[in-house]
Order: sequence, then structure tokens, then C-alpha cells
Amino acid sequence: MNFIVILLALLLAVCVALLLIERRRARRFVRWITDPAHNPMPEMSATWGLAAAYTRRALGREQAHANESAARLATLLAALDALPVGIVLLDREGRILFCNAIAAAHFELDPARDRGQHIVHLVRDPAFVAWHEQHADTPLEMTAHPDAPGLSSRLMVQRQPYGDDCALLLFTDVTAQRQTEAMRRDFVANVSHEIRTPLTVLAGFVETLQSLTLSRDEQTRYLALMAQQTTRMQALVADLLTLSRLEGSPPPGMNERADLRELTTQCAAETHALSVRLYGADAQKIEIETAPDFDLAATPAELRSAMSNLLANAVRYSGAKGKINARWSRENNGGARFEVADNGPGIAPDHLPRLTERFYRVDRSRARHAHGEDGTGLGLAIVKHVAERHGGTLQIISILGQGSRFALVFPQARVVAGQTEKSL
Amino acid sequence: MTDKHLSSQFDSELAHLSSHLLAMGGLVEAQLRQALEALTDQSDEIAEAVLAGELRVNAMEIAIDDELTHIIARRQPAAVDLRLLLSVARVTANLERAGDEAAKIARMVRSIVSAGSHSLPLSDLRLACDLAAEMIAKSLDAFARLDTTTAITILKEDIVVDREFDGFVRKLITYMMEDPRTISASLDLLFIAKAIERIGDHAKNIAESVIYVVKGADVRHRSLTEAEAEIAEITAAENAEKIMDAHIDFGQTRHE
Repeated sequence: MNFIVILLALLLAVCVALLLIERRRARRFVRWITDPAHNPMPEMSATWGLAAAYTRRALGREQAHANESAARLATLLAALDALPVGIVLLDREGRILFCNAIAAAHFELDPARDRGQHIVHLVRDPAFVAWHEQHADTPLEMTAHPDAPGLSSRLMVQRQPYGDDCALLLFTDVTAQRQTEAMRRDFVANVSHEIRTPLTVLAGFVETLQSLTLSRDEQTRYLALMAQQTTRMQALVADLLTLSRLEGSPPPGMNERADLRELTTQCAAETHALSVRLYGADAQKIEIETAPDFDLAATPAELRSAMSNLLANAVRYSGAKGKINARWSRENNGGARFEVADNGPGIAPDHLPRLTERFYRVDRSRARHAHGEDGTGLGLAIVKHVAERHGGTLQIISILGQGSRFALVFPQARVVAGQTEKSL
Repeated sequence: MTDKHLSSQFDSELAHLSSHLLAMGGLVEAQLRQALEALTDQSDEIAEAVLAGELRVNAMEIAIDDELTHIIARRQPAAVDLRLLLSVARVTANLERAGDEAAKIARMVRSIVSAGSHSLPLSDLRLACDLAAEMIAKSLDAFARLDTTTAITILKEDIVVDREFDGFVRKLITYMMEDPRTISASLDLLFIAKAIERIGDHAKNIAESVIYVVKGADVRHRSLTEAEAEIAEITAAENAEKIMDAHIDFGQTRHE
């Protein structure tokens, strides 16, 4: 009897022990399966081992699937991020689901931190907030964040609904477009103004000549003034035609040849003549080196126009005591450089970036009244165009009160050995 | 279940309130930018537009206050919710005053324009005004993101604006001594400078409210170093608490 009771108790104890061991194994197994990274894989008996093997296989498949999906999503988001327009995805409440790099730059957003943030909390422009709340279909033009790169860029925003009440906002930068429009308007206004001024003068003299009887001397004087105005209009029209030709024609080929020696000699003669006409003989000191030992693959007419524009500017702006130096030289990198230096009044730094704009003048009143003959306001625009068409650049260095240096720089590809020796 | 439903409705009420507050902020920002534009271009028309916009800012202040009162009365909030609501009240008041300052600038610009132009140091003012407008924008960003790091940088920037103001006053005095005819225009500019300085202060107050919501620390009327020290202390305490919580969590899962 006793023996049976002891046996039963023993059996029970063994059972309980086994149960406890099994429980511990189960717990270890669960711990490992929920967080395999931090818990060791338990040793397993047959049942648990089988369960573990199956589970592990299923988990592995699931994991591979998840990895694949994540990779695909990452590629897709990277593609969205690389788009050249700003994109913001919003959920039905107007919270940011995703925004790409361009949109983030426009509004100083942080793509990671600002996910889940209401867009109107961060883009608070009243016009945008009103537009956003109306769910308007029409695009809205707005300004980017004032601190965003590219000062006060204009953006066009469009809403595209998708999915379950979500929306895609598309931000296109229209700054360049607006600038072009403004430039075109300014250009037309400027041309009209530049032509109307000499025309008004001309009309005034014509009226005078018609209505008054004038002495011979007066007539001669008025006719001379009228001739001056017509010359100015002719120069303007000629420059406008040059510009439109430069814009409309294909860039000059590499088989063009410009004989620098001949061109420089011609330009030097013109420059001396202009200086004498404006300030009298021996007023300005002009030194132009006319003997470069190389030529350029460039259109002679264009190059000549660019060179003479730079020289004429130097003559006009450096005044009666001007000193002008001009020469061709080779750059260290094999390119060619035509530099015109003067000791004129110089140009303030804030004007420099706009100097090559059409009709831009540093000082309108002085340019107009300093002497009878002045430029058309298109000269540097032509020079810059010519340089760019030949793959070169126009460099301007100027210090107020000390003078200016204008340089045409051409790449090595355009430089060819001089023909001067052959022709000699 | 009911409880959860109620609290999520409360959350949405708070979200709405924040949206309205930030919309008002956007309006004040636009007002400041416009006032700056009026100052730069010396434009009477833009100044007029700022004065018209002021009425909308005032209307929004009243609407937000009303909404706020209703929420407090119905929900009787506590802890972080209460701090948020108190801060909304403070931020609203500060925004409204910043809007007032923008209107003040517009009024002075009109007075300067009608008196004719003088060669006065306007460009310094433009820079300061730009800085102050940027501070308001940043403080609102910080409020939207509950971002204390930015809030602290605003506290620092306010010191810069104050210093600019002092320098500007000295400069104006030299102008007035050189040519007494510029005195009345100089006084107008002085009022503008003062308004800009006040806008900087309002931005600072908003930044302090952000710190109050997030950290529960009241850093008003404290020096920058004191404020920073207190915030660092609270952050450290929070981190310690987090670590403790993590331990407790760990312990509990072990015991189960």
C-alpha cells in the first residue's frame, strides 16, 4: 500500500518535473521566436524541434517577402526623391506621408521628422492654406519659403487626388518662366523707348525746319544734330539685327578661320578713330598689340564685332585721360584670351552681374550726356553672345576708381596655329 | 470604449485648435513680410494692405480664444493637454501683438512716404526686420514640430535683434545731430526699429511656450544659460525615467 502511494507520488513528481521542464522549454522557444536577435536558440526535443523548424521556415519565407517589399518601396521612394519637381503625398487629413528632396528644399521641411505633420502647419502661406482647405482643382501660384535656396522662387502647385481620399501635391518651379516673361516685357519696352527718344528729337527738328525760316548756319547745325540721331537709330537697329542673328543661327563650325592679326589691326584703327573723334588727337593713350602668333576657329565678323565693342566701351567710359591696353595672349590651359584694360571709373560690384543684360546701364544719365555719341546698350550683350557661341566666356573684373578689365576667353579647341608666316 | 472615443475626439479638437493657431501664424508671417516689402519699396499701397490684413488677424484671435474657452470648459484638461492649451492662449496673444507691430511699421512707412524721402539708414532696418520675421516663422515651425532645439536657438537670436536695435538707435542719433531736418523722419524710423525689436520678443515668447509644452519648464524671465541648464536637467531626468521604465518593462515580462 505504502509502496503504491510512494510510487504514485514519485510518478506525480516526475510528471510535474517534466511538465515544468517542458514549460521552460516552451517559454524559451516563445522568447526566441519573438526576438531571435537577443535570445539564444534553445536546444530542442523532438516535438519542439519540429515546431521550431517549421516555424523558422515559415518565418524565413515571410522575412524574405518583407525584405523584397521593403526594397521595392525604397526604390520607388528613391525614384520619387530624384524627380526634378517637388512632390508631397498627403493622407485624407492633410498630413504629410512623404515629401521628396525638392519639396523639402522649397519649404524647409525635414522628410523624416515631418512625416505625419499637417502640411498647413509648416507651409503657412495664407494663400496656400485657403487653397488647400478648398481642395481647389485649379493650380495656385505661390512663393517658396523665404529662406529656401534661390531667392523668392515662384512655385506652381497642383493637387492630384489618388487612392482613398489621399492627395498628391506637385510643385513646379516657375521662377525662370516668370523671369523670361518679365525680360521680354522689359525688352520690348526698352526697344520702344530707345527708338522713340531719337525719333522725338528728329520730329522736333523737322517741325522747326518746316515752320521757321532759319539762317544757313542754324540749318547746318540742326541737320548735323538730326544726322547724329539717325546714326544712333541705325546703330541700334544694326545691333538688334546682330543680336537676333547671333541668337537664331547655329554656332560657328570649327572650320571657320579668323585672322587675328588682320582683325586686331582693323579694330585698332577704328578705336583710334573713335578716340580722336570723341576727345581729339593725343588725349587718350591707346596701346593695342596687333601681333598674336595664333588664329581662332571663329567667325571673323562676329569676333570683330565683339572686339570692337569692348574697345569702343573702353574709349567711351575711360574719358579724355583714358589709358587703354589691349592684347591677345595664351592661357595656361592652352586657351586664348583677348583682354581690354582701361583706367576708367570702374563698375560697382552690384552692377556686374547685370552688365550683360540688354539695355542695362550703370548710370543712365551719364551714359546719355557725357558726349554726343554713346552706345546702344546692347554691346556687352553681343560680346557675351559671341563668346558663348564659340564655347568661351566674357570675364569682367572691375574696381571702382581704378578701372576695368574685360576679357574674351576662348577654349583651346578653338585655337589654331597662325597663318601669318605662310602669308608673309 | 466610450472613454477612448471621447479622448480621440478631444485629440481632434486639439488638432483643430493647433491648425487654427498656425493658420493665424501664417497670416501674421505674411503681414510681416508685407510690412518689410512696404518698408523696402517705400510703398503706400502695400502699407495699406498690411493695415487691412490687421483686421483679419484680430478676428482670428477672437475666434481662437473662443474655441479655447470652450475646450477648457468642456474637457477640464490636465498635464500636457493643459500646458498645450495654456500655450495656445499665450502664442495667440503674442501673434496678435506681432501683427499689431507689423501694422505699426506700415503706418510709419506711410508717414515716411508722405513726408518725402531722406537719405536715412533704411537698409539696416530691412536686415533686422527680415531677421525678426524669420524668428516668428521659426518659432511657429518649432511649435508645429514641438521642437525645443529650434526654440532654444530663437532665444539666442533674440539677443542679436536686441543688440541690432541698440546699434541702430546710436546710428540714428548721429543722423539727427548732423542734420536736424531729419529728426521727424528719424523718429518714425525709431518707432519702426522698436516695433521690430518687439516682434523679436514675441517670437522669443512663442519659443518659451514651446519649451513649456514639451518640457514643462517655465523659462520666462530667465537668462539663456539658466534656461538651457534647466532644460538639460529635465531632459536628463526624462532619459533616466525612460531607462527605468525600460527596466520595469523588462522585469514584468520576465515575471509573467
